[in-house]
Amino acid sequence: MRIYSVGEVTGYLKELLEADSMLADLWISGEVSNLSQSAAGHLYFTLKDEAGQLRCVLFHHERLAIQLENGAAVVAHGHISVYEVAGSLQFYVDLVQPEGVGILHLEFERLKAKLEEEGLFDIARKREIPPFPQRIGIVTSPGSAVFHDIINIISRRYPLVELVLSPTPVQGDGAAEGIVQAIEALNQMEGIDLVILARGGGSLEELWPFNEEMVARAIASSKAVVISGVGHDTDFTMADFVADLRAPTPSAAAELAVPHRSELKARILTQQRALVAALKGEISQQGMELDLLASRLKSLTPDVDRYRQRIDERTRVASIRLGSFLALGREKVRSLELELSALSPMATLGRGYAQVQHSATGELVTRVGQVVRGDAIDVRVSDGEFKGRVTGSKKGLQAWLKNFPLKKG
Amino acid sequence: MAEELSFEEGLNRLERIVQTLEAGGLTLEQAISLFEEGMRLAKICSQRLDAAELKLTQLQAAFETEIQNKGESPC
Repeated sequence: MRIYSVGEVTGYLKELLEADSMLADLWISGEVSNLSQSAAGHLYFTLKDEAGQLRCVLFHHERLAIQLENGAAVVAHGHISVYEVAGSLQFYVDLVQPEGVGILHLEFERLKAKLEEEGLFDIARKREIPPFPQRIGIVTSPGSAVFHDIINIISRRYPLVELVLSPTPVQGDGAAEGIVQAIEALNQMEGIDLVILARGGGSLEELWPFNEEMVARAIASSKAVVISGVGHDTDFTMADFVADLRAPTPSAAAELAVPHRSELKARILTQQRALVAALKGEISQQGMELDLLASRLKSLTPDVDRYRQRIDERTRVASIRLGSFLALGREKVRSLELELSALSPMATLGRGYAQVQHSATGELVTRVGQVVRGDAIDVRVSDGEFKGRVTGSKKGLQAWLKNFPLKKG
Repeated sequence: MAEELSFEEGLNRLERIVQTLEAGGLTLEQAISLFEEGMRLAKICSQRLDAAELKLTQLQAAFETEIQNKGESPC
């Protein structure tokens, strides 16, 4: 035996109470009374029913879903502990809901508020769904209709993937743990780029594992991107809020996970058409450039044909000119010949004249004075020549007239 | 070479080739060789879509033993 101090006892009680898991996290329903607010903004009140009462404190930073007032029937969440200074048992409240709401709804709202405050639902945390996933992990119950739907949809849409089933029960005891382990197992695998978390429709109780905090945290810390497809369109679970993408149903999750083959084929076709158009464009573009170059080249090189033609023309003109020139020349020559022939001594001889040459000197005798009687002369006539002698001479009348120039009366 | 590309890589490469071709400024030889590569990729991608078959594997259900263990231990 020993004697304890008050502090030791209150401290021990506090430790004892706080070690109890039931007292650490519980919902208590009752009626609000003795409500007061401290200067710091903390709320103090008593929760009571026919059988008893509990002192409660709600610190100002805790969430208050309703306006508290005396006499209100509420359900409060929190933990039981000892307030050592006063030595009193206290209910440390962190959430108050109106009475009449089911426990699961209460828990749902509480967890939702908590995780939201932690930022687990932030849009900024959401990651893009990979456009062409290669290995997709499926967290669901093996052999379920949901799993077969997913296989059918993905194999119809985009069979280029490998599906890795990470089996787990999706309702009942142990389901939350199973889901967490299934997600973790996939994250330990190589190359899983997407996880689909799926479950068919059910009651709130049946879907409950997907609302548990450990599942929400496993999704939040998943390395692979997570699509949730739990229940029907109208069901929202914690998993939906935390997942990178919420699909309204498991089938929708499968559809959102992969592209559709026919869309891809259309896309490929579009690219093929664009290829053809681009090459055509390129060729016609280059063809135009070639034409341009060709025409420039043409304008830069001498036009041989033109010159050839010009030469042809010149030649033709020249030959015409030459021809006429020749003709003219020939005519001229002929007329000159005529003239010449008229002048030719032979022609003169033909008309009865004779050419006389002094035989001794060879001089042409053109005047009487060149010869004396007895000189030998050669006389040429039109068809030959003969020899002769001067037998006498007489100056012509003209000579006389020259030598004796008389005035004509 | 192109056979080893994944579908995604093939499609991306195809789309880049189209962009390059559309941007122009290539020699005719380059344009034609890109065109041929693009057509080949389009064919390969298309064939992949037609020929692929979904692969399916299943991980060991680790949860079963875990659940049993949980069942034995007091909560």
